Amino acid sequence: MPERVSEYRRIAVLGGVYANAEALAAVLADARRRNAEAVFCLGDLGGFGPDPAGVLPLLRAHDVRVVRGNYDDAIATGATDCNCGYTDPRDNHYARLSYAYTVAHTPAADRAWLATLPAQRRVQLGSHRILMCHGSPRRINEFLWESTTPDGLLRRLLADYSADVLLCTHTGLKWHRALDDGIAHAVNVGAVGRPENDGTPRVWYALLGAEPDVRVQFVPVTYDHESVARAIEAEGLPREFAETLRSGWWTTCLENLPAKERARGRF
Amino acid sequence: MRAMSVVDAPTPRAPFVALSTLWLVLTGTLCNLRCTHCLNTSGPDAPWLPPLDGAVARRAIAEAAALGVREIYFTGGEPFLHREILPLLETSLAIAATTVLTNGTVLTDATADALAALARASRYSLEIRVSLDAPDAETNDRVRGAGTWRRAVRAIRALDARGLLPIVTATEIDGAPDAYDRFRALLSGLGIARPRVKILPVFPVGRAAGDSAARLSDADLEGFDRTALQCADTRAVAAGGVYACPILAGLPGARLSDGDLTAARRPAALYHAACLTCHRTGATCRNA
Repeated sequence: MPERVSEYRRIAVLGGVYANAEALAAVLADARRRNAEAVFCLGDLGGFGPDPAGVLPLLRAHDVRVVRGNYDDAIATGATDCNCGYTDPRDNHYARLSYAYTVAHTPAADRAWLATLPAQRRVQLGSHRILMCHGSPRRINEFLWESTTPDGLLRRLLADYSADVLLCTHTGLKWHRALDDGIAHAVNVGAVGRPENDGTPRVWYALLGAEPDVRVQFVPVTYDHESVARAIEAEGLPREFAETLRSGWWTTCLENLPAKERARGRF
Repeated sequence: MRAMSVVDAPTPRAPFVALSTLWLVLTGTLCNLRCTHCLNTSGPDAPWLPPLDGAVARRAIAEAAALGVREIYFTGGEPFLHREILPLLETSLAIAATTVLTNGTVLTDATADALAALARASRYSLEIRVSLDAPDAETNDRVRGAGTWRRAVRAIRALDARGLLPIVTATEIDGAPDAYDRFRALLSGLGIARPRVKILPVFPVGRAAGDSAARLSDADLEGFDRTALQCADTRAVAAGGVYACPILAGLPGARLSDGDLTAARRPAALYHAACLTCHRTGATCRNA
């Protein structure tokens, strides 16, 4: 029996909550104000931030449909690390602290729920077939950076997975590419839990509409980042995480950034 | 048929998933240096693995693009000894993110300027990986040759000054646990704001080949996701054929086709001692 696919005209899509419930609340309120018919989250609910337990109640309250991220997968299965793929001991040090904190502060019921999340979701946006995933449709922790994702790869993924629009996250940096005169699209929706290494504390999500062509709008959201930074410090999480929320510059886990993306940051 | 004897029935295999990474062994084993751990025994003498013809490299890039390749890497030998390196990089950067692995010792300011221009003109990242095996000249030069530290550091500065953010790539010659920190300290001391370091294990192949008979077995791989191995989504084009990975390029046991990437999309034999290192360390020859 063919999968039942819901149809929409206007949706909000976010990713990378990273246990930043304050930012998530601000983004969900913004999406409601902008009349999104439905909100989707592409995973990675934990890590980095101070409030893993505060995320799921918000997602439920706003009826957000969630795709499983690699972090969610690791938490759900009791993996020994986040499967982020760092090799630099400095990055691994921060990743371990963050992961241990998230494990310790994720309620057992939330872990069980994470295990039920699908790896992909499909919806119809007007006449366009949308495929949502975390990293890439072929691997949950594949980084689709703007500067390392060729048009040819995107065309192949869209063909292999029978979609017109591919939505992903995992990198924490947003981008959108229209292919073939706007017939096909790839969108990395960025992250709401951490600023995007641009020197401002704002975070981003994406609004997609069918007008009737696909329209992609990235929306910046400000929130009380100072209170989250203080909570990070109060919880004994690395000061570098708080610094990132305040300054907007990434301070840790930089090794996976390709040259073009790395050059835009301070560190 | 001789190659078949080393890839016979008990040899485990890695499935082929997709062509994500293409390696071009551009100069074969032609290099101006003769590093003591070189995994394909490169050097200035007549190379046992000849350089790639530019037309062959271009054909491979085009075929890889059609197969949906994600990243392209140029290696050798020393790729900047190939007279077509710059136009080939331009071709590659038109379709995908591209990385060059260099020892940095033949990189001139004019070449650095040209690389910066290529990087600016492409929507995809150009990465330059400069090999340096120790943060200090004495240790490095024992491995890589006299004067190589000074020349490589000069190249690192020249690339960084042009916004290219080189990745210093070291081989784990002494297994020092603070190696990353020491390389970062070196780069910070050079005034590099965004220090990038990658450290790879020594592979038991080429000049570092030992006499260990240990090989991977299917039992070793039980419960292990073989698609996580490099050879599940990587192919290396070298003179004479397409190989499972860049470490084993040129070796008969790793040869998968005579030059056709499409035909090389089949399982690779995990027959070499280096396959054991790859599996045990989880190392990737990719940038990340």
